[in-house]
Amino acid sequence: MSVEQELFRGLGRREFMRGTLGGALAALTCGAARLVAAPAIPAKADTLILLFMAGGMAQTETFDPKRKTAFAPGLRGNEVLSTFDTIDTSVDNIKISEGLERIAKIMDRATLVRSHRVGDLGAILHTKHQYHWHTGYTPPQPLAVPHMGAMIAKSLGPRMPDVPPFINIGQNLELGAESDAVKAFHTAGFLGTEFGPFLVDDPADATARVRPPAGFSGERFARRYEAYKKLQASNPVLKYGSSFQQDSLMKSVESAHRLLASPAAKAFDLSLEPQKSFDVYNTGKFGLGCLLARRLAEAGARFIEVSSEYIPFRFWDTHENGHTRAMAMKQSVDRPVSQLILDLEERGMLDRTLVVMASEFGRDFMTEGKPGKEVKQQVTQPDVITLPQHYGMHRHFTEAGSVVMFGGGMKKGFLYGKTADERPCKIVENPVTIDDLHATIYTALGIAPDTEYEVEKRPFYVTKDGKGKAVTELFA
Amino acid sequence: MFSIAALSLIWSTGWSAPVDFARDVHPILLERCAGCHKGDRALNTRAELLKVVVPGKAGESLLIARVSGKLPPQMPMGGRPLSAGEIDTLRRWIDEGAVWNSAQPVTGKRPPLALRKPESEGIDSILQAPGNVVADEVFVRRAYLDLWGLLPSPEQRSAFLKHNSRPKLIEALLANRQNYAENWISFWNDLLHNDEGVTYIGDRKSITPWLLNALKDNMPYDDFVRELLNPRGKDAPDGFLTGVNWRGDVNASQTPLMQAAQNSAQVFLGVNLKCNSCHDSFISYWKLKEAYGLASFFSKEPLEIYRCDIATGQKSKPSFLYPELGSIDENAPLEDREWAVAQFFTKPENGRFARTYVNRIWKRLFGWGIVEPIDDMDATPYNRDLLDWLSWDFVEHGYDTQYLLKQIMSSRAYQLPVGGEKPAPVARRLEPEEFVDAISSITGEWLVKESSKAEPGSYSRDWRLKANPLTRALGRPMRDLAVTERQRDISTLQTLELVNGQTLTSMLHLGALRMMGKPESVPDNLFDSGIIRSNKVSVDIDVTGSDELRLLLVDSGSYDTAKVAAGWMRAEFLGPNGAVQLPTNGTVTPKPPQPKLPPQPPDAPPVYTPPIKGTPVDAITARVPSELVYDIRGKGYTRFRAEVVADESSTTSDISPQFRAFIFNRAPNIRQLVRVEGERPQPLPPVLTGRDAIITRVYEHALGRDPSDAERKIAREFLQNGVDGLEDLLWAILMSAEFQYIS
Repeated sequence: MSVEQELFRGLGRREFMRGTLGGALAALTCGAARLVAAPAIPAKADTLILLFMAGGMAQTETFDPKRKTAFAPGLRGNEVLSTFDTIDTSVDNIKISEGLERIAKIMDRATLVRSHRVGDLGAILHTKHQYHWHTGYTPPQPLAVPHMGAMIAKSLGPRMPDVPPFINIGQNLELGAESDAVKAFHTAGFLGTEFGPFLVDDPADATARVRPPAGFSGERFARRYEAYKKLQASNPVLKYGSSFQQDSLMKSVESAHRLLASPAAKAFDLSLEPQKSFDVYNTGKFGLGCLLARRLAEAGARFIEVSSEYIPFRFWDTHENGHTRAMAMKQSVDRPVSQLILDLEERGMLDRTLVVMASEFGRDFMTEGKPGKEVKQQVTQPDVITLPQHYGMHRHFTEAGSVVMFGGGMKKGFLYGKTADERPCKIVENPVTIDDLHATIYTALGIAPDTEYEVEKRPFYVTKDGKGKAVTELFA
Repeated sequence: MFSIAALSLIWSTGWSAPVDFARDVHPILLERCAGCHKGDRALNTRAELLKVVVPGKAGESLLIARVSGKLPPQMPMGGRPLSAGEIDTLRRWIDEGAVWNSAQPVTGKRPPLALRKPESEGIDSILQAPGNVVADEVFVRRAYLDLWGLLPSPEQRSAFLKHNSRPKLIEALLANRQNYAENWISFWNDLLHNDEGVTYIGDRKSITPWLLNALKDNMPYDDFVRELLNPRGKDAPDGFLTGVNWRGDVNASQTPLMQAAQNSAQVFLGVNLKCNSCHDSFISYWKLKEAYGLASFFSKEPLEIYRCDIATGQKSKPSFLYPELGSIDENAPLEDREWAVAQFFTKPENGRFARTYVNRIWKRLFGWGIVEPIDDMDATPYNRDLLDWLSWDFVEHGYDTQYLLKQIMSSRAYQLPVGGEKPAPVARRLEPEEFVDAISSITGEWLVKESSKAEPGSYSRDWRLKANPLTRALGRPMRDLAVTERQRDISTLQTLELVNGQTLTSMLHLGALRMMGKPESVPDNLFDSGIIRSNKVSVDIDVTGSDELRLLLVDSGSYDTAKVAAGWMRAEFLGPNGAVQLPTNGTVTPKPPQPKLPPQPPDAPPVYTPPIKGTPVDAITARVPSELVYDIRGKGYTRFRAEVVADESSTTSDISPQFRAFIFNRAPNIRQLVRVEGERPQPLPPVLTGRDAIITRVYEHALGRDPSDAERKIAREFLQNGVDGLEDLLWAILMSAEFQYIS
């Protein structure tokens, strides 16, 4: 037999692949998952846009305002619940914090949950809570656990074939001391790399992700692909018949090229957005991320996360100057979030698009952890403050946070859950855990919270132990 | 009154939750029935159980009649009867409808532990595989990749084809311990969850130096595992037992000790203790107390057993998974227990230890394990004699891994063409490390491993660097848990990275430039500060003969680079007429040392002390990144001195400055500012002129053959476009299955 014939046999005809290991057994042995049960439930939404306020959004400075105490030297920390005034919204019984005036106008499209309670995970580590929020499980885990986006991508598939079903915008995975931990949950885990996140670090340059490589003209890129196909077709090793691996690889290359050339790729190009609209969204990376999310939702994306970016001590993670920085953060989200909702509504998309605004925990002046279950302090500031840098919500409060939900079958102008008006601002009504919040989100998308996979012979549910219960009062 | 009476009524009738099949019933069936109830007496599936169970009517069910003794013979036959509680559980389960919620049949077999020497000896006489072995051209590529993780260069390939002794080639490849170790270290990094420099802000300790040396020395496998389980001494690999930890609380089943038990059982014995780290397993015979029993060998104190993360109040004693291999007194000190467990794992009586490893190595070389899944060594082997003989022989030869590799690779079975019926190997995809190293060796453009210190970098194979978007896309795993098998499937996301990703594009661009004899110029720096945070760094360098001096500040991971303010203080040249100060344009205030606090109790909140402010110093202020250029032509300067520091206002937690200062005397290459020293992992390819020479070389190196006439014609068309063309030709070849798979 000639070398070419041998090499061909080497690549394995399909029949042999089936007879020996093939894809299925390999998948089982690789710790890949087998779907066991997916109870059918009707979907209220086809798309999820998750606006993640990474770093711990101070709830009493945003959506759950309390009595304001103005800064004055000599202020005792335990007197301070909020540092901002309260403003009215378009819903009579809902008031939010100043700085969110535009979101206030559209609260009549929102369901506001003030009683989101996250897990008790010991000494605070943002990324551990973020991992928990994004996967429903707390690390370390004995399995490679998938991100919610991957779970949704796998369960529902893409909405449109050329739009990656799981898109993640705004979080740079390589930056910051916790970047390894951030990477740990940006994965499809045992669901397989097909369902991993399509990362867009900078929305302003999102087209870089769907363009020919840097330095390539369109002409060179097309020429390379044509020449590649010709070269493969001339491969003497393959003249004995097609090869399963070669077919798969070429199909995959074709899909990639098709995606890059598709009309959907235009959705990534923010320069195509009318300037007036672009300017409304343009408060920075997060704002443009919201614009990109809208365009991608229009193009047929399934799950889009826009993160406000987590870098330790930056953005929402206010360890100092909490008051001024919270105002800056509110300004960066107010216009884009409200515009996103209005745009979706105008395009008739809001009813079938669920938009969720959430954070890994809330903040408090005094308490690190939960009242009664405090954890190791990480913020150094005096109990009696004299400097503005110490004025703000600097500690990590895992007892209560706020979640705002729009569209996707949720009630409009609805308030759920309550926290105490005095310190400690515990949840006093209708707590919603991560498991139940996830169950609510998955149910809205038509995925049963006890959807079950089998991995390494054990059951794995989309909510922990399949026990997440959707909060049905939130649905219209 | 009434309500209290009602409560006590509830207590006395013992109301409880419905019987859970998986948690309550399955363990009884598995442990007390499955041993005898096999074959046509089996009670593994619901259909089989329905022969003896009437759902809803325990009183009418044969199962209950037997286990209660009401209808002889009592079950289990010849064995201890079920307890009253167990019978009650079965009764209630049946009365509640005999709901079956397990997808797994009940199985309880345990294969024998000891090594076994079969009658047939030798891989080929056991397998009796028909067919011819592959040609030398195919064998050479396979052997180089399997032992070194590197493609054979055209020179290496033709040297082999000349003398064509396969045994000699295997010997030579094994003898180059550096190349061998740098390949197999990735295999072990996965299994031992080792990932240099990766942390989750919790305890994690690298074992890289020890691991690399162990491979270079071909440390006997039993010694290797004993050192991992019983690390002693300064450079010992205690990172394996330390596990992967995140700051904060952890579920009781994932404490470092439980991780140590799970990982050592999985990796070294093919036993899954993950399920029974929380509760008795529903899918195997392992019990909760057995996972804790193993963890107790590694624990200073007796461990409290937690079931489903709730304390049971029971303490655990050290007990090995296979008690017949040995036991130890629970009061023995930790070092004795660690020594003991290391013995139990690795002694020759533990045949499973050798078989598990032999199976992993076989899988690595063939693409399929003699036992599948490879983490479940209870499963039936494809060929028991093969596994047993290989393991016996391996132990006989002192657990010598290189001996084992030589045995397997010398066999006819290993040398069969891929894709045929078993025992032929299957086509395996290149590992991400092999993919990247292949590009480096073909083009001569190697990655550089840099450190955060002021020292030169070195040319490196991919494994030494952290994962990047390309290697992640190709399947380099996150080692946040032990990985025994990588995902190697093709996916659109992965291919997108290969089609337009920055990492691959850069590699091919730099590689093509080098292949065509036009590598980018990389001037050496005169000074490298290493990473600067809030410290001050002094500069004092020789600049004799320099026409210009460029002072660079480059970011190295600041949280908010835009806000970093730094400065060059006391900058001066020394010339024939003494010192010449550089004109300053502002001030920089170095952060002074802050007072040390008296020792605080461990859980005390951090004490706030207002920071001591520094004094401004005249300086040349600079942002990050920045480049200051000084024309010093003809000035006769011999030295340059300065101090570089971040302004104290930049040293807040939200800015967290991390930057690096470099000094050059000509325009630097921004891509490679750190000086690189040392040899490349493989010799540089020759610089070739002429398209045909380049085409021939690329085909020979990447694919191990000459291009066909049709391919050569198309390749020439590629190369009409100069460097771009070569990049694109390389890409086209890399994106073929012929390249990406080991045939």
